[in-house]
Amino acid sequence: MELITNLLAGLWESSGFALLTWQNLVMIGVAVVFLFLAIAKKFEPLLLVPIAFGILLANLPGSGVMDDVTLSQAFGGDGSLAGNGHWYESGVLRIIYAGVKSSIFPCLIFLGVGAMTDFGPLLSNPISLLLGAAAQLGIYVAFIIAILLGFTPQEAASISIIGGADGPTAIWLTGKLASHLLAPIALAAYSYMALIPLIQPPIMKILTTKKEREVKMTQLRKVSKTEKIVFPVIVLVLIALILPSVVPLLGMLMLGNLFRECGVVERLSDTAQNAMNNIVVILLGVTVGATANGESFLKVQTLGIVALGLTAFVFSTIGGVLLGKLLYVITKGKINPLIGAAGVSAVPMAARVAQNEGRKYNPTNFLLMHAMGPNVAGVIGSAVAAGFLLLMFQN
Amino acid sequence: MNITPQLLGIFTDIYGSYDAMNIQRALLIALVGFITVIVVLACIALFIKFIAFIFAVIEKKNEKKVSTVITPIEHHSSPAQTSDVTLPETESQGELELIGVDEPTAAILMALVSYKTNIPLNRLAFRSIKLVEDE
Repeated sequence: MELITNLLAGLWESSGFALLTWQNLVMIGVAVVFLFLAIAKKFEPLLLVPIAFGILLANLPGSGVMDDVTLSQAFGGDGSLAGNGHWYESGVLRIIYAGVKSSIFPCLIFLGVGAMTDFGPLLSNPISLLLGAAAQLGIYVAFIIAILLGFTPQEAASISIIGGADGPTAIWLTGKLASHLLAPIALAAYSYMALIPLIQPPIMKILTTKKEREVKMTQLRKVSKTEKIVFPVIVLVLIALILPSVVPLLGMLMLGNLFRECGVVERLSDTAQNAMNNIVVILLGVTVGATANGESFLKVQTLGIVALGLTAFVFSTIGGVLLGKLLYVITKGKINPLIGAAGVSAVPMAARVAQNEGRKYNPTNFLLMHAMGPNVAGVIGSAVAAGFLLLMFQN
Repeated sequence: MNITPQLLGIFTDIYGSYDAMNIQRALLIALVGFITVIVVLACIALFIKFIAFIFAVIEKKNEKKVSTVITPIEHHSSPAQTSDVTLPETESQGELELIGVDEPTAAILMALVSYKTNIPLNRLAFRSIKLVEDE
């Protein structure tokens, strides 16, 4: 009888039930909500499903998927690890997470994004770049507020980059400056990107008049193949000379774009756009989600990050629309200010929002291609902003 | 082993430590950061304008060359309206005289001329296409 009792007690103690905390339960609930939003509501499902499942995995007590056996170890004089465990004895997601910590995954995602991006609308209307720059306003507003709230400069910089509406950039910068905040920042960034169709339209409506929203823009000029090939190479060199810290991200973005435009490496372009990008999204999503462990995630600080992220997003949209209004005046009504809102990266959701809002007020309006210019400019703009913040605050 | 010189952490280089961060400095950094983004992207915009200008000049030169090359065989095809009026890509106008050539062959020939001369079809006008017998 005693044997059975001990056996059952041992089974209980080693089961997840005995180790379960209320934080785990809350996070499992969060994971289920995210899965619901992704599957039933189709909110960014490609990202939200792996992220939500990562949260679920990390909060199953005793699973050890994110255990780090090297945490208590130190390097010996000969460079070897002193301690009991080897790195490969860490949890499986912890090992994969090295791709996030080392910036490999964000950079590879940028390679895929570059291969999927057509810079044609940007090249045919270079003024789009200014809209992409103005839509980074939220980054700096959020940075100031975060400093006021008592975050360290590195934390403030990492939180503020949510305003760039660019998941890989946010992960890249946070991984370098404040990796302990990676989970809330990545989750906030991707959640707000998914919520762009809800966040942006009211701001766009408040800031513009009906007349401005109805503006039909003239057809874009045709961009030659050579221009599209020259663009990624020269722009990369130009930006690298100004801000070398941004080369890992923009270098991969432009390489991917060159794959796409040069026309002689279609297999590489296809792999970067599809197979590789999908693999990296799975690995990045699951491991970022897995960093949202209940004990470290459920803090008042996380709520602050979520609120600051929303503030950054709102001000970025405001920045883009306000410059759009200014350009509307300068060009005597040739630019529809709604496309300014697409200057927050979030390709192509933000451009789609501009298109949909434009059509609401003028059904014959077709703003999508015009909005794609500021949209891809926003990708470059947020990467430049991240490079600047890294330059300022890297340890 | 070569390592890139340390270019990072300007704030601590200037102020000694991150403890020196206050609201005035945060405002200054935010302002400089925002201006940096605008300046970098404005530089790219200017660069794009420059490239577009260069390509426009090159294209004009090429068009002139093509027109001089094609002129001697104007009875077969001629560069058309390099004028201001450019038709939409899907449209054509005018009449084409086919002499000893069927329509599919004529379509292939027009596409080839367009491809080889790098002039879009909506900017080329063909007056006649004539089969020339070998002597």
